[in-house]
Amino acid sequence: MAVSVTASTILSLSSDRTTRLAAAAASSSSSSCSKLSSSTSLRFPAQLRRVRIGTQDSRPRLLPPVEAKKQTFSSFQDLLATSEKPVLVDFYATWCGPCQFMAPILNEVSITLNDKIQVVKIDTEKYPSIADKYNIQALPTFIIFKDGEPFDRFEGAMTADQLVERIETTLKVK
Amino acid sequence: MTLQLQAPSFAASLSSFVSPLNRSTRRPVIRAKAEPSDKSVEIMRKFSEQYARKSGTYFCVDKGVTSVVIKGLADHKDSLGAPLCPCRHYDDKPAEAGQGFWNCPCVPMRERKECHCMLFLTPDNDFAGPEQAISLEEIRESTANM
Repeated sequence: MAVSVTASTILSLSSDRTTRLAAAAASSSSSSCSKLSSSTSLRFPAQLRRVRIGTQDSRPRLLPPVEAKKQTFSSFQDLLATSEKPVLVDFYATWCGPCQFMAPILNEVSITLNDKIQVVKIDTEKYPSIADKYNIQALPTFIIFKDGEPFDRFEGAMTADQLVERIETTLKVK
Repeated sequence: MTLQLQAPSFAASLSSFVSPLNRSTRRPVIRAKAEPSDKSVEIMRKFSEQYARKSGTYFCVDKGVTSVVIKGLADHKDSLGAPLCPCRHYDDKPAEAGQGFWNCPCVPMRERKECHCMLFLTPDNDFAGPEQAISLEEIRESTANM
């Protein structure tokens, strides 16, 4: 079974989308190996590159490029097994409004709770078998995995504060 | 396990940012996901406005959410012939579209005004905005970098 997952929770201001698309295309065509990627902590390189972002008033903004760590795993199970921290998995779809709403919130939360939890996103249209395995229905569904097993599960969009509170409350239980 | 430098892009921005590509260094990228047809987007946009008025519900304060859902409905209308709810995971999409429970407006919405897509929000909802209208321009701008 070819399964691959793209997970990215870090806001990257590099505009090199082709890299990500190429990686996604490469991993989806691979039949023998499944690749997953997860992002860990933000690192700010010493040099800041000037990136022009179009805003409504077109001011040039100085934004640091961000390095997200991409790792290749042989399966989703492998990712769960090798993670030292609990894993928050966001099951989403491209055209799901609340899922896209949560994207920047997840970035923020992954920074805030950097040492407590690892954030992973799974596109349910690209990886339906993983979504089926965990009986995902409504999107977004969030599952917190502890020791490789689902520990808590909740659906729907929420604010960053609510998400942080939910994660911290859940992880305190054990 | 190999470690690779990833340059992930922001999946979708619901802010006012538009495509940031600097002409001198980058070309427009190929979209991984096909865009829904303009015709379907317009149909679903009109439907959303009418249904919001009819049901007394309002669009999200963040119109980006509304835009993404409208495009999701249009995408399913193109591929399945029916606007299947884009905020769900399905075993068999064509079967679901044929069955109809999750075709927009779905049964939970029709019966209880429950829209977990955050497309149609009752006035008491924290995320509900004041508007029951959205323009094609708003939809385009909000989803420009997807």
